[in-house]
Amino acid sequence: MNVPETQKSFGRDGSEFPNPLPRPKDELQKLKRAWEPPRGLSFITAVNNTYVGQWYVGTAFLFFVLAGILSLIMRAQLAAPESDLVSHSLYNQLFTMHGTVMMFLFAVPAVEAASVYLLPNMQAARDLPFPRLSAYAFWAYFVGGLVFFTTIFFGLAPNSGWFMYPPLSSLKYSPADNADWWLLGIGFIEISAIAGAIEIIVGVMKTRAVGMSLDKMPIYSWAMLVFAAMIIVGFPAIILGTLLLELERAFDWPFFIAERGGDPLLWQHLFWFFGHPEVYIIFIPATGMVSMIVPAMAQTPLVGYRFIVLALVATGFLSFGLWVHHMFATGLPKMSLSFFSAASTAVAVPSGIQVFAWIATIASGRMNLTTPSLFIIGFLFIFTLGGLTGVMVAMAPFDWQAHDTYFIVAHLHYVLIGGMVFPLFAAFYYWVPVASTRALSECVGRWVFGLMFVGVNVTFFPMHITGLIGMPRRVYTYPVGMGWDELNLISTVGAFMIAAGVALFIYDMIRNFRPTLDDNAGNVWNAGTLEWLPNSNYGTRTIPVVKSREPLWDQPGLADDVDAGRYYLPGTVTGGRETLVTSPFDARPQYILQVPGPGWQPFLAAVFTAAFFLLLTVKAVILSAICGVLALGFVIWWLWETDLGPIRPPADIGGGLTVPVYVTGSMNHSWWAMIALMVVCGMIFTCLVFSYLFLWLVNPASWPPSGTVMPGFLPGSTAGGLYVASAILVAVASRHLRGDDRRSPSSVPLLLAGAVVLLATGSTLDLWTHWQTALSPSAHAYGAAVYGIIAFQILFVGTSVIMGLYTIARWLAGKLDSVRRATFDNTMLFWYYTVGQGTAGLLVVYGFPKLVGGA
Amino acid sequence: MTRRRFWQVFMMLCGFIIWAVQFTLIYGATSTTCALEVAETRLLGIGIVPAVIAAVTLAAFLCTAGVLTYALREHRRLQSGNAGVTDIFLSQAAILISAFSIAAIVWQGLPALILPACA
Repeated sequence: MNVPETQKSFGRDGSEFPNPLPRPKDELQKLKRAWEPPRGLSFITAVNNTYVGQWYVGTAFLFFVLAGILSLIMRAQLAAPESDLVSHSLYNQLFTMHGTVMMFLFAVPAVEAASVYLLPNMQAARDLPFPRLSAYAFWAYFVGGLVFFTTIFFGLAPNSGWFMYPPLSSLKYSPADNADWWLLGIGFIEISAIAGAIEIIVGVMKTRAVGMSLDKMPIYSWAMLVFAAMIIVGFPAIILGTLLLELERAFDWPFFIAERGGDPLLWQHLFWFFGHPEVYIIFIPATGMVSMIVPAMAQTPLVGYRFIVLALVATGFLSFGLWVHHMFATGLPKMSLSFFSAASTAVAVPSGIQVFAWIATIASGRMNLTTPSLFIIGFLFIFTLGGLTGVMVAMAPFDWQAHDTYFIVAHLHYVLIGGMVFPLFAAFYYWVPVASTRALSECVGRWVFGLMFVGVNVTFFPMHITGLIGMPRRVYTYPVGMGWDELNLISTVGAFMIAAGVALFIYDMIRNFRPTLDDNAGNVWNAGTLEWLPNSNYGTRTIPVVKSREPLWDQPGLADDVDAGRYYLPGTVTGGRETLVTSPFDARPQYILQVPGPGWQPFLAAVFTAAFFLLLTVKAVILSAICGVLALGFVIWWLWETDLGPIRPPADIGGGLTVPVYVTGSMNHSWWAMIALMVVCGMIFTCLVFSYLFLWLVNPASWPPSGTVMPGFLPGSTAGGLYVASAILVAVASRHLRGDDRRSPSSVPLLLAGAVVLLATGSTLDLWTHWQTALSPSAHAYGAAVYGIIAFQILFVGTSVIMGLYTIARWLAGKLDSVRRATFDNTMLFWYYTVGQGTAGLLVVYGFPKLVGGA
Repeated sequence: MTRRRFWQVFMMLCGFIIWAVQFTLIYGATSTTCALEVAETRLLGIGIVPAVIAAVTLAAFLCTAGVLTYALREHRRLQSGNAGVTDIFLSQAAILISAFSIAAIVWQGLPALILPACA
């Protein structure tokens, strides 16, 4: 690699470009061939962002419409008092599914989907670094989401509210499968969201245009980086929560059953530690979109770029200090509530910073009142109103009055529709010309905006009053004479106005959206960022050098030069799909990433993953297990084709730069993904330890309960010793696998096999020791918590064992040596994590009861 | 990521990391002492909960002020030298974030002066 510290300057001022013209005749043809989409039935195996991104957005929008229809049925029911259009049991399913589908199947997937499509274009990458992971995440979501939604037609839909509070959702009060559909269905869709988040983090940090250093990164990329970081920190809490509640429902482990030492409040902590950041998880990408659209509409650079970055990072952190503001009415000490009240008001500051930056940008330019502009103005109005009522409910005394009334329904819809739906519609109207031969209609767009804007206010503004005069949430009907009749009727009329706006938008899409790869409508807004460069299935023809945040405004002729092949990587150097990886801070070229192409594996792995979880819901255990094994098999087959190694010497990408086509260690993209995955795992484990400590605080005098036989330190320390010894063997294997001579010593598989045995033995010993003490996981929350930690460790040990055996298999197949060792590095990182987690778990399980003097 | 870059990112996020630690400690201390019914314990005439909150908040404030001072000094040094734009950007971000964090930390500790611990 011969990449200089400072980026060379190229331009029309006489300096040369990285690659001269004319380009070789077959260069573009080879590039097109490498990125050719599959045809016929195989079309569904396409993995690149141009396809998966559009399918993803389309599916998310489908769920928006479906959840919207559910809300219309509810509004029709509530239009008049004492209505019997729907029964109370169906109404329970309707409001649960409306919230669940909107939050889990529309909002998060929609913003993730948009970024799958937009990020590579905005950063001039040919694709995201793990396109098969994107495809897997999409298909798992598509199949799982649609099956989940159909439960409403069979009376099997979840019916305990979108937050599924126990004890209502516990087996005692919800004995049917409805709650299991939520727990298993939504739980695994979150895994899909996490896969997408890891993809986004690596994509933002590693696949940017040359010279697009952090200070020149589009705000949208910053927003998606914060969004993805929040997902990998926040989602683990709900994944753990769903696991614990499902363990309780399936095996009677009493995490939330008060009579046996559990506490329903634990669920609320876990749910809202995810649930409140979730609001910002969907709001932050929307602000990123707004920060891209406003400068284009005002034809001036964004004011306060650094302050907006500060605001995004601040929101990311502060939003994790708000979760208890959903629990103000649970009887927690006032001092505790006040911490969350303080953070809830503090988080308004970064939101305010962004609002003022957008207003300043609008003021400093000349805002064209296009449809995207109208939706942005609508967003500012509606979101600001929602923010103001948010500050009101951040005050515990006010919240106690408004809690569980329609005031909260009004507040949350103002925030979510204003903060996410309006920016998303602005984004549709703004970015459709990138993906379509035609832009959407400005005339129809204004009607869409008008109907939606008026509709939202007509629907939700009266709800403030309905709530303040006492109407509770989630009631399927109400008696005459409560003073709620007219207000509810107005809200229903408003809801149908919103529906008319959405229907008109669908009409506009059908009339004008014509997907294309090579012939898009072009830069219709005269925007300054890279997604408006001419692009195709392979992204832009070359990877440009970026000198500012609005390169299309500041670098005249950039589009033509990029398209002519003047910049970096004008063709394919390996003959396959590839993209340029740049350094995470300064965006200097590092290496060429060989991007995997279409394949059935991600699709089939996703279908069988979905089947595994969904069949488990209906207790078809054997069939579910078969699907799980098949899913694992397809994942292994998929991985087997990756980690190709240095299939050719370092390649010239232009401008005198020669970069390798394969690297390992911390520069490698999969290393970054593995670190992100470890953060996810670490957060789940942290939440598990939090749950253990929380349950201790609920039962300080019986931790463990009297009569429990505590195991001695010997088994625990032996298990820990075995874990550490296995890690040492892996470290020694890594040492043996060093060198540039592509050595592949036979000691590596032997050491790995030894490590597998030691790790599995340690975990088995831990489980066996507790089983011998006759500790029951269902007698008391203590046992449930202990076995929860052990079971979680067994899951990780099992995964590590599979990874170890897989790495040995690659060595046997000649696919592992001292240079081609990314697979080994990933296994090693995960191994170290598993050992660290196991050791920490042993300290908690064996040490904590002694520390608090309970044993 | 080089060690220098890691340090720069750490310093950039340090203010919020300190805020997160402060938040966890004061909430954890309040919840634990209330649950174990030891909140009435007094240290030098001050309730244990306000004392812990005050101590943690003061420590967090001082640490973040230290980060801000370091970031300002680093920024001046970078501007007077031949530093890259990314370095300057990261130092500016560190200044903004640590300044904001100081306000957040003080705000977060204020309830200790007003409210009873476990009521």
